[in-house]
Amino acid sequence: MELFRVSSDAYGREVLQGLSWDLLWVFAGAGALLIVVHALYRAFLAPKHK
Amino acid sequence: MIEALPVEPSGSPTPIVLRHALVDRVFHWVAAVCVLTLLATSFLPILGVKFDWVNIHWITGVVLTIAVLFHLVRSLLWQSWRTMWIGAADVREALAILRATIRRTGTPSKPGKYSFAQKLVHLFFTVVVLTAVVTGALMLAHVETPWWRPNAYLLSDASWGVVYVLHDLAALSLITMVLAHIYFALRPEKLLFTRAMLRGWITRREYEEHLDPTRWQVDR
Repeated sequence: MELFRVSSDAYGREVLQGLSWDLLWVFAGAGALLIVVHALYRAFLAPKHK
Repeated sequence: MIEALPVEPSGSPTPIVLRHALVDRVFHWVAAVCVLTLLATSFLPILGVKFDWVNIHWITGVVLTIAVLFHLVRSLLWQSWRTMWIGAADVREALAILRATIRRTGTPSKPGKYSFAQKLVHLFFTVVVLTAVVTGALMLAHVETPWWRPNAYLLSDASWGVVYVLHDLAALSLITMVLAHIYFALRPEKLLFTRAMLRGWITRREYEEHLDPTRWQVDR
């Protein structure tokens, strides 16, 4: 998986264009994982609130 | 600070505590709509939903920038920046929560107006949104607007690369943060705070049950 998007300028040099859009799924997955882990923790492990 | 607006089943008024002034709630929801619009206009085209996103994106970015500047000036001049500052008491609270989580005992102490987690989320949003706003403002140099012509030579290619990376990093981080923010806002035990962001208040009972009156004094 690439981390960056690059292109070439008129002289053939690499020019940074930003982060790779493949990372979209990494960040979305991190959010989903955080939600699932917290929900499971609250459902099964956390002390019950009154 | 304390008003009596909602009414209990018995008919007697429930005392309430104002948590968010109307102006702060309006800022929150304007910022929320802007961030969701900005995320949609940046990532939907990447996911294959094609539409003319550029104008919606930069105009929404300008609205968000104005809203953030307003909030920044208001919070620094008319409110206390210490309200959101993460101090020693917050760090102690975080460590106590961590210990309680590991030992699986109850929450050890009550927070003030904002918990450590709420202050941390606010800090993350501050850093990420300010990064997006500053880099986005620079990127307006690429856009044709009624006020200026595009100027791609404002910065060198290498500098533009850094600007793009920071803007993309802020945008991608916002996906994770918005997902988590919405999830926590909808959790049953947090709904009182979500209601406060909608209607402004929590009840006096919620204030005494969930928060530490010595750390958030509303009567004096």
